[in-house]
Amino acid sequence: MADARKDNDVKTNAEDYLRMYRQMVRIRTFEDNANQLYLSAKMPGLTHMYSGEEAVAVGICEALTDDDRITSTHRGHGHCVAKGAAFKEMFCELLGKEEGYCRGKGGSMHIADQSHGNLGANAIVGGSMGIATGSALRAKLLGSDDVTVCFFGDGATAQGLMYEVMNMAALWKLPVIYACENNGYSEYTRTDEIAAGSITARAEAFGIEAHQVDGQDVLAVNALTRRLVERARKGEGPFFMELMTYRYHGHHVGDINREYYRSKEEEKDWKENRDPIIRFRAWLVAEGIASEAEIEAMNAAITEDAAQAVAHAEAAPYPDASEVDMHVYAD
Amino acid sequence: MPHEVTMPQLGMTQDSGRLTQWLKQPGEKVARGDLLFEVETDKATMEIEAQADGFLTHVKADEGADIPVGKVIARISETASETADASDAPAPAPTPEPEPEPAPGADDALPKGHAITMPQLGMTQDSGVLVAWLKAPGDAVGAEDILFEVETDKSTMEVAAGHDGYLAATLAEPGEAVAVGGMLAIISQGPPSAPVTRSAAQMAVQMAAEPVAAQAPPGATPQAVTGSEGRILASPKLRRIALAEGLDLARLVRAGHPQPFHMRDLEILRSLPEETPPQGVQQASPHVTAAAAAMRLGAHCPQDGFAAFARWAGETHGLADDDALLAGLAGASLPGGPGIVAVERFGARRAFLVPQDRRLSAVAPSDAAPALILRDLRATAVESVAIGAEALPVITITRQGAGLSITLECGPDQMDGPAAIALLDAFAGRLREPLRHLL
Amino acid sequence: MREITLSQAVNEAIAEEMRRDPTVFLMGEDVAEAGTPFKVLSGLVEEFGTQRVIDTPISEPGFVGMAVGAAMTGARPIVDLMFGDFLYLVMDQLCNQAAKQHYMSGGKLTVPMVLRTNLGATRRSAAQHSQSLQALVAHIPGLKVAMPSSAYEAKGLMKTAIRDNNPVVIFEDKLMYQDKAPVPEEEYLIPFGEAHIKRAGRDITLIATSSMVQVAEKAAGLLAGEGIEAEVIDPRTIVPLDEASLIASVRKTSRAIVIDEGHQSYGVTAEIAARLNEKAFYHLDAPVLRMGAMDVPVPFSPALEDLTVPTPERVVAQARRLCAGELIHAA
Repeated sequence: MADARKDNDVKTNAEDYLRMYRQMVRIRTFEDNANQLYLSAKMPGLTHMYSGEEAVAVGICEALTDDDRITSTHRGHGHCVAKGAAFKEMFCELLGKEEGYCRGKGGSMHIADQSHGNLGANAIVGGSMGIATGSALRAKLLGSDDVTVCFFGDGATAQGLMYEVMNMAALWKLPVIYACENNGYSEYTRTDEIAAGSITARAEAFGIEAHQVDGQDVLAVNALTRRLVERARKGEGPFFMELMTYRYHGHHVGDINREYYRSKEEEKDWKENRDPIIRFRAWLVAEGIASEAEIEAMNAAITEDAAQAVAHAEAAPYPDASEVDMHVYAD
Repeated sequence: MPHEVTMPQLGMTQDSGRLTQWLKQPGEKVARGDLLFEVETDKATMEIEAQADGFLTHVKADEGADIPVGKVIARISETASETADASDAPAPAPTPEPEPEPAPGADDALPKGHAITMPQLGMTQDSGVLVAWLKAPGDAVGAEDILFEVETDKSTMEVAAGHDGYLAATLAEPGEAVAVGGMLAIISQGPPSAPVTRSAAQMAVQMAAEPVAAQAPPGATPQAVTGSEGRILASPKLRRIALAEGLDLARLVRAGHPQPFHMRDLEILRSLPEETPPQGVQQASPHVTAAAAAMRLGAHCPQDGFAAFARWAGETHGLADDDALLAGLAGASLPGGPGIVAVERFGARRAFLVPQDRRLSAVAPSDAAPALILRDLRATAVESVAIGAEALPVITITRQGAGLSITLECGPDQMDGPAAIALLDAFAGRLREPLRHLL
Repeated sequence: MREITLSQAVNEAIAEEMRRDPTVFLMGEDVAEAGTPFKVLSGLVEEFGTQRVIDTPISEPGFVGMAVGAAMTGARPIVDLMFGDFLYLVMDQLCNQAAKQHYMSGGKLTVPMVLRTNLGATRRSAAQHSQSLQALVAHIPGLKVAMPSSAYEAKGLMKTAIRDNNPVVIFEDKLMYQDKAPVPEEEYLIPFGEAHIKRAGRDITLIATSSMVQVAEKAAGLLAGEGIEAEVIDPRTIVPLDEASLIASVRKTSRAIVIDEGHQSYGVTAEIAARLNEKAFYHLDAPVLRMGAMDVPVPFSPALEDLTVPTPERVVAQARRLCAGELIHAA
């Protein structure tokens, strides 16, 4: 595992480690259930699975407080869970129910628990980069010490907006961290077919300090983020992280025939040899932080929690028809 | 708890998948993640993993079957011995469904072919009565073959088909009168798959249900009285005020005033002298009465009390003529006391004398001139009417949801406001609760 | 009452609101020392400093996106878009992000921002600096659109816009910045959705927005000489639209011409005319006419450009035809 363990006292941080593990399993479990809801035609619309990238969302969000903001992406369930959302309201949102975080008006692509600083998932690739940078500008103007993390994928590095806002963030030293989740594929196309040169060099061109990190190693992600958040709070931002990761599913549920862009062998290799949950679980046991039995019990409790939330969401009512033109304008 | 195995939704546009192969046998032990079956969609063939541990049971789909997304095709149960209920018989591989039988009269589309119409056989004739069909629907016909027999005021004559082919549709029944030019039959080139037989009355209903066919009769809208002069060009506001004041814009036309008419023309219209009816037009002609202000009153019965009453009256008192019952209820509502009421349906008119004592059983057909027309449009698609005043006061009944809409239209020379209100109110009350009429 | 220019009115409104509310700030290209090319914002940076009057790079999508993020997290940004024509550059940030956040979050997020920009041709600026694009944003649910017609409206509407909890686009006519009008010294706000009757009349209603209010008022003066009394109404905001006042006026006069400087097809004039048709049909004595800019890119040559926009003379000619009961476009 990462060098994080060297500069951290395993015993005092046991609680943090277990929470990180738990959050990663919660994301995987959420996605397994969401996938099933979609496959069984109970979930309307379109959805993008985060499975495989759990260490990125959890490693980063575990370094943030509730006052820190994030902006999320179309592949946003993982960020939502990691930033503190509950299963019940999330499943209700996926199914378009009134109890959902967005009262069923957002769905999978706009899901967010706003009360924990999640400024929303965004269905426009790269669409939230302005929002994240603006949130950081507000923090600086109003004298708050919160930090904003902007999640986006490798595909979004092709959007012009990123260069405009990184320029301003660097000019004005804004407390924003650009977190590029590089899962190797821009929708159905290999990243090296759409991105020239290096990803981190893009940020460095603006004088932004950039790091590349193993996105399957939750401790490495967390340690790096904590260091950068601390510095951003002191006005040393912005920063850029490229997190090397992998998505287990297709671009969206239903992207099943994908051998034209990536092989089954490659998928198998990532799942079997680089899975962030398997790796971290082995580390927790090896370090004596948790026993296999404790971990199994934790997993079972999460599975049960998800099952109950799904059942609740399936039975929950849809929004009343009177909601349709509500919330177009704020009072 | 058993886990249901469903046909997965694998694509954004997919609504079914073909089960190509089961990869486990019924009763076999299954672990979460095991490959369970294989599905073929428009995009790809793909192996589907089991989502629970247990035993494959209740297999309800055969290999090769096309199955809608979301349909349960098996279960993963806690024991291997759980078996299917009788209702869980495997879904057979699909067989093509037979084409549904069209409901009689429900087929909007008539067969394609040559339309055979009621011939014009004399100078003054405007309709003919179909006496008999000499070919049956589906028969092959030659152009020279006699197709039907028609009776006019002058004679009965045989009419040839005029086209080679097959008699694909007959659209009138013997005994029915059909207007000259009205459709009588269709001769198709090839043998028809389902020859159509309809009556002229059914055709009339069909036509009424089609928006384009629902053209208003001549003189239908109060201002469209100019006939050959065409539509009057006038502003919406002027039209509204002219209607409210009972002023006929056609008088401006006849006075030679240039169109379009606007509010500035209102004073001129108001000041035009009263017109005397043109020579040769009777006082009661719809054109002239329509030119006067039309009264239009509406009532609504939330429930149709009449239909049940008519059934009851037919079954228990032998009063099987719904027209007579309607006439009785309407005639009894006339403000001046019972009189003669004509009931119109599909253009056919029957008049009834309503006795002074208003007994429904004594309502009898009559040839005398009616005081009121009752137009029964309950069987048509028409929801509301605004035809304007005609030669007599007209009550129109249309269906509206579960209830009835009742409209009275008349001219001020036929009935004054209070009388019209009294008539409509009394009649609507009787239709709502016909039994009270008997008390 | 004192008279000030429209430019001074906007400047005063922004200064007053920035003094009142420390979360209000201003950003855009050359808004600080330059005070914009039109000098509307001169002096503000001296009072409020570069922290709150922020010069941005030429990155319209970037700084509009940042305004959205700042607004979502507690600030009240005023964004200066130097020319209305640049709206095309910021469509995603304005229409996909700002306009929809409140709805997509089920009412939990708000975007209290003002985008101030301009409209108006005949400044010989050719096709990319002369457009009047209010219809474009008025089409998007979630945005409010204000169109001040004089210094008085410019101040009152700007102050209301800054206090509104929704994204507001405010269009100033770039040819009117030096036009003076009476503006009270004491504070006032103009509520959104309240039309103003600029001149009462009995024979025809001239509904006009922004710069076209002056055109309509001049036309009304000319018509009065012919014995035609025109009523001039300024909706002041086109979203929300004070439909009731417009209908009441047309019920009175039974004739109307709608005048707006946007392209005539699918424009603001078309929308208002359609509503009058739907809701005042039986009170119309003549067809409602639209008068917008010609459906051509704005030409440079003065000889051509002047042909493209409504003028008092053209309004008079059309009003005369309506009042004379001329047959207009009857098939």
